[in-house]
Amino acid sequence: MSKIANVWVFSDVESRQAEVLAGARELGEVVSAFVIGTDGDVAKAYAQGADKVYLLGARETSRIVEDYADTMAKAISEAADSALILLPGTRCCKALASLLGVKLKAGVVTEAYDVTVEDGGVTGKRMVYGGLAHGQEKVASPFAVMVVSGGVFAPESEDAARTGETINVEFVAPKAAIKCLERQPKQATQVDLGKAKRIVSIGRGIAKKEDIAMAEALGAAIDAELGCSRPIAESEKWLEQERYVGISGVMPKPELYLALGISGQIQHMVAANSAQVIVAVNKDKNAPIFQYADYGIVGDLYKIVPALTAAFGEK
Amino acid sequence: MTMKIIVGCKLVPEEQDIVVQADGSLDVSRATPKISPFDLNAIEAAVEVKGLVGEAHITALSVGDKTLENSKARKDILSRGPDAMTAVMDDAYTHLLPEQTAEVMATAAREIGFDLILCGDGSGDLLAQQVGTRLGALLDVATLSGVSKIVSADNGKLVVERALESEVEALEVTLPAVISVSADINTPAIPGMKAILAAGKKPVGTMTPAALFVEKGIAQGTASVELLETKAPKQKERLNVMIEGDGEDQIAELVSHLRKILN
Repeated sequence: MSKIANVWVFSDVESRQAEVLAGARELGEVVSAFVIGTDGDVAKAYAQGADKVYLLGARETSRIVEDYADTMAKAISEAADSALILLPGTRCCKALASLLGVKLKAGVVTEAYDVTVEDGGVTGKRMVYGGLAHGQEKVASPFAVMVVSGGVFAPESEDAARTGETINVEFVAPKAAIKCLERQPKQATQVDLGKAKRIVSIGRGIAKKEDIAMAEALGAAIDAELGCSRPIAESEKWLEQERYVGISGVMPKPELYLALGISGQIQHMVAANSAQVIVAVNKDKNAPIFQYADYGIVGDLYKIVPALTAAFGEK
Repeated sequence: MTMKIIVGCKLVPEEQDIVVQADGSLDVSRATPKISPFDLNAIEAAVEVKGLVGEAHITALSVGDKTLENSKARKDILSRGPDAMTAVMDDAYTHLLPEQTAEVMATAAREIGFDLILCGDGSGDLLAQQVGTRLGALLDVATLSGVSKIVSADNGKLVVERALESEVEALEVTLPAVISVSADINTPAIPGMKAILAAGKKPVGTMTPAALFVEKGIAQGTASVELLETKAPKQKERLNVMIEGDGEDQIAELVSHLRKILN
């Protein structure tokens, strides 16, 4: 894999900066980081792999991150005729990507889970149709913007001794500024199937809402989160959207995915594909889910589920 | 003064109808066109803004191929609140990339005139999440994405909220502006019979690239991204151990497999 001469990096979320800097080092020769903040933040960027820091100054509370788009575009275009800009998939960085796309006439690939450089060109892979298919997009413009998903690049270990050239950048005010009136810390959502190690997931095989308790009991016995297929969340609305496993819902990566009465439509199975082990309970021997399962049992879930709960309840 | 609102509306194939073929390619030919889910939220937000400012005119703006001639889809859009619809159609618009869609929308929006453009955060097919923000930049007006609440609206400005990773920002946006909304901003209302009947009588205008670009001597930009391939991912190899029946022995067999997995 060849390398890009200049790679630029920015992250508005501190925890995502190390991974994009690591990615930039992997893909490029000279790594420049934009930093909004103070000397401590500059030192952090060097420690995480930046060769140069373009310091945008301390954050002004009335400004939003995207207000720096003109400033960044100016610095990038003045430094060289071509470059790769690598951003993490945060809300603000996604918006920045599009703004830089227009200002630098750059091709933008969002939510890339794989980035490669060949013959000086950058290609990103990303999911389309909600994960049903994977698309490969090649940027043809001199400036390329890649917005990467979490976990694509592993952060390098920090080296506090690293340092480099710091350039102070003057703020270029956007024509139509947006004024931030207030910032409030956000309440975290309670359900996060994305982090669940075990999931008990229910589908159409569950006849009525009251029967969900049975699946919950099994979930409690094996320490699993409750998930569901599309009809349970969208048609019946028995469970909240956060529990819906599907291409337009959650795509979890559990160690165990235990599917109860789920037929196994492709859109559901694509979403569950990252599970290490899939176990399926279904009364229909010909249900597609069995093709995607490591272990499958053909039988009545109303008999099997309580038996499993009993077996794992006694520890 | 009547506020002029444009709401971006994309038709996408119903994902449940998409067939994955043996070689991994997708067959969308039998998929019913539907309004991209986030755009339903954008339409609802437009109706909400109209309610807040009193006098407003909402134009639904769609860019695409002949699918936009589908009268059921048009009616569906118009039954949800827009007062009129403009479809920019061309055979070459089947697989437009976000930058191209934004360019067409920008040119059409200038033609229609606007105070506020509302878009969904991303489309149900590509979910590139670029069009709204690119549109704002092309039109050189204030732009925001991920907006999860409209706090207040008058003819000069909006106050909105958007959720970032760990905080919620309250933001004041001076019009004209392009705002992209997130899925949690509202629950789109299901149109009633009266609205569906009225939709058939609302005006639908069409525009072509010839009228928007060629005749005005405006050059359409070349795409800076090339879509090389779209293929379904390979499913993981599975063990496919089958247990037939739900008798005690069979359940015990399943329990023993589960015990190994859980340990």
